[in-house]
Amino acid sequence: MTKIYGEAETKVRALDNVSFSVKKGEFVLVIGSSGSGKSTLLNMIGLLDKPTEGKVLVDGFDTSNLTDNEISTFRNKKLGFVFQFANLLADLTVLENVLLPSQIQFDSTTNNKAKEILEKVGLKDQLFKRANKISGGQAQRAAIARGLVNNPTIVLADEPTGNLDSVTAKNVIEVMKKMAKDLGQTFIVVTHERAQFGDVDRIITIKDGRAFEGEHSPELEVVA
Amino acid sequence: MDYRFHLAKRMLVNKRGSLIGAVLAVSIGILVINVNFVIFQGIYDAIIRDMSEYRFGDIYVYDEEKSTIEKSDTVLINWFERIPGVEAATPRLEASATAETRILGHQHEKFNVPVLGVDPISDIRTSTIHETVGDGQYVYARNSIVVGESVASDLGGCSQGGFFMSSGTDPTVTGDVDIGECQPVRVGDSVKLTITDQWGIDQKKRFVVTGISGTAGGQGFDRSVIIHIDTLRDMLDRSGESGSIMVRLQESASPYDAKQIKNQFLQAFPNDNLRAETIEESAESTLAGFRSGIAMINLIGYFGMGSSAFAILTIQMMLVNSKTREIGIMRAIGARRKDILIIFIMQGMIIGAMGAGAGTALGLGYTTYAKITNMEFGGSLALEVNYNWQKIGETAFIAFILAMIASIYPSYRATKKQPVEAMRAV
Repeated sequence: MTKIYGEAETKVRALDNVSFSVKKGEFVLVIGSSGSGKSTLLNMIGLLDKPTEGKVLVDGFDTSNLTDNEISTFRNKKLGFVFQFANLLADLTVLENVLLPSQIQFDSTTNNKAKEILEKVGLKDQLFKRANKISGGQAQRAAIARGLVNNPTIVLADEPTGNLDSVTAKNVIEVMKKMAKDLGQTFIVVTHERAQFGDVDRIITIKDGRAFEGEHSPELEVVA
Repeated sequence: MDYRFHLAKRMLVNKRGSLIGAVLAVSIGILVINVNFVIFQGIYDAIIRDMSEYRFGDIYVYDEEKSTIEKSDTVLINWFERIPGVEAATPRLEASATAETRILGHQHEKFNVPVLGVDPISDIRTSTIHETVGDGQYVYARNSIVVGESVASDLGGCSQGGFFMSSGTDPTVTGDVDIGECQPVRVGDSVKLTITDQWGIDQKKRFVVTGISGTAGGQGFDRSVIIHIDTLRDMLDRSGESGSIMVRLQESASPYDAKQIKNQFLQAFPNDNLRAETIEESAESTLAGFRSGIAMINLIGYFGMGSSAFAILTIQMMLVNSKTREIGIMRAIGARRKDILIIFIMQGMIIGAMGAGAGTALGLGYTTYAKITNMEFGGSLALEVNYNWQKIGETAFIAFILAMIASIYPSYRATKKQPVEAMRAV
């Protein structure tokens, strides 16, 4: 994938011919400094933005020709999102936030599952609290639950601990790893706090819009 | 419940200030229209009511060419009273007279007044003018006279601040004695009328005041005097003639029945130069201008409602802008543009429904208040207050639709937000 922003003299190559694949159940960490292109990469994988060149395949399905409505449906069914600021809807309760992805598809059968996941992430007692009445760590765990409720193929997390203190961040990371292990869930996590995550299945480093396998290996460019 | 409705409702409830502002904008528009309706339609209906009750009845018959109907009133009244749906009919005759009073032997006031001649027996069955006699009683004898409140006052010299001065509709100063405080004509006083008959000869007659009639609103006989029709016929030397026939239909009769009976009457008397009008036709010239006024006031009300639609549009734009991040989140987790559109249009519908409900409740409250308190216009004309459910429903529905339409553009703008950019909004 290549992503270019701007035109002519203001042209910026945010992603430069990046290509890699992720196996089912892998916990992948995408690291890099600020402005390296890691969030852009996540937006492309999450179909929130379109690459200038290249395409994203999920479960072997080419997503480049999908219409706007199809992209929305695809995002809803195949992808889960965890954002830096949790991004829960303040107008809804914790449970309602977690149920929202399934309600968008008018699926009303996930109530028990949502409660189950919320219990697993330690929010059993917070189900009916308004989203803006819980702590940052709890909100992020609720966001993880929301990302998992539709059994997505991949959960994409963009700086999920970026707004949390170290203790809360550690707790949230543990929850994500536990979910990945227990559910066999694929995670692609973008962070610039590599140390917080400890052991993960795989690390991809983004530098100047290019992707490299491993932590400090500019020579090992990913060309999968 | 559809999650979009649930979300729309929650978003609105959590922005109470905007919600209250938008609901007030809608409800005030409705209230203005309802208040206008109660007052102006109330005046309109009150004028029709009074014209019908006092002057024209449900059907009004007169001669097309002459000032009087020469055909026997008994024949005409008997004809009408045989028709099913007709309650009663009565002859009336109008003329002009010079009225004068004498107090302490001196001529006190003298001026021209309209005179109405009535048949006391049939008139009380056809008209409610007898109910307006507050002091004394209605015309019952050949020499009795019922004086309108204004005439009673003017004949006592009260219209000029309590001092003896000429006044009335056609003042003619003939007295020269200052008798101090005014003394309105009262029951038992005598009033002399001078009427010029059809041959140009003045006919004078003294009457005893048997009652004072007070009818507000300009459709009654405050500025007239009422005497027995046969007395007036004698004075005019028009024996057996009537100026008009006033016909009252039974309460169950509709305007359609009135037209039917009118047409039936005209077919029955084709060669008598008689003209018959329903109350709508009789009141037409008086009320045509008034109707334009009502239409204008209603137009202003609807402009007000249009303004409230702009207020909703502005508030909805603010709501959409304040919810940019939420829109981005929803789009990211799979909501389609259509879902976002529906959420904000539903907000407009909620605002419209709440505003229409509140406005209608306020309007009905005002209408009920006007009805219970027998609200009067200008302190005199009792408004004819009716619940016009069709009008109330239409107004509420239009307000609801306007609120929904006003939400379309902000909702459309909401769908144009890209998730990535929208989520960056603070």
